[in-house]
Amino acid sequence: MEIRGSEKPILGNKCKPWGTEGQVLTCGDVSSLVVDNLGDQAGGQNTAVACFYFDFTARNKQSPVSILGSLLKQLVCAEREIPNEISRAYQAQKKVIGGRGPRLSDIVKMLQTTSCKKRTFICIDALDECVAGHRVKILDSLNQILQKSPGTRIFITGRPHILAEIRKRLAVRITSVPISPKRGDIITYLHSKLAEDTTPDAMDDTLEAEILKKIPEDVSEM
Amino acid sequence: MDRRHKIWDDGHPWGSTKNPAFFSDFGNSSGRLTASSTIYCVLRSELEMFQSFSNNRGSFNTTNNTFSVTDDRPDILAWLSPLDPKFRHHDIQGRRVENVGEWLLQTEEFRSWYAGSEGGESENAVLFCYGDPGVGKTYIR
Repeated sequence: MEIRGSEKPILGNKCKPWGTEGQVLTCGDVSSLVVDNLGDQAGGQNTAVACFYFDFTARNKQSPVSILGSLLKQLVCAEREIPNEISRAYQAQKKVIGGRGPRLSDIVKMLQTTSCKKRTFICIDALDECVAGHRVKILDSLNQILQKSPGTRIFITGRPHILAEIRKRLAVRITSVPISPKRGDIITYLHSKLAEDTTPDAMDDTLEAEILKKIPEDVSEM
Repeated sequence: MDRRHKIWDDGHPWGSTKNPAFFSDFGNSSGRLTASSTIYCVLRSELEMFQSFSNNRGSFNTTNNTFSVTDDRPDILAWLSPLDPKFRHHDIQGRRVENVGEWLLQTEEFRSWYAGSEGGESENAVLFCYGDPGVGKTYIR
């Protein structure tokens, strides 16, 4: 078990390279938590939830059209029928030899229409991992959606430096919340990891109590 | 697309082939009866295909006819995007520790962001949650 949280490794293990393992609360965790929570609340209601997780290693596949198309796909999937507007656009492109992918402007228009029909939540994880040029297009598209469909809620996670860019591109009021694990999160996390311990013989009540006391203290000092 | 429909439905010479007179010449000579009935059958089946094709096309303009729309559903969804974020979502979901981070859902910021959607207001439309390796000491990617 290891927990990143200080310059020197806790519990004597070597720190792993930057990644998600061993972290108490990542952006991805928060996004997934919010998506699940919205999904639970949405169950049976006139609500639709779509999410997208940026991943720097998959940046070549994550183009603005494919990302926004994927959001639209999720919203449409929840519908019993594909909206006519989308069927028509699909049929129209088939007439072009070899077919043609959707255009960004078309996808945005379809997103505007679809998001107006339902209470729509769009969750974007790790926006800072999006290629800069793409980010501009994506934020501009989200802005167009918000202008047409002001009830749409957008949830974004990322490093703080992109807040300035979000503010610049989205012409609405933006609320920001810092994410760092609370003491309760760390204790819950430790309990969970201790329960999964593969070498329980090395653990005794005193050591466990010390871990549960010391690590949250160390972390909260930061 | 609509314009093309119009040309096909109203202007195409085959638009009038519902009339049997179109085929009457083929049956006049008894010696060519077998050959002409074969041609008739071929033409007939092509005509039917054409008609069902153009009927289906037309159905996209109506809200009631869902048959062809339902048929195309997987193709349309695939066309919209090749990406499928649910795998990544399930991946994160699976390794997340239950209840960690739940406090966010109780914050005033989250609640008012969520509630705003009911009223359709543009206020609080965007909620940005941020973390930084440099600040929070590496808890956030």
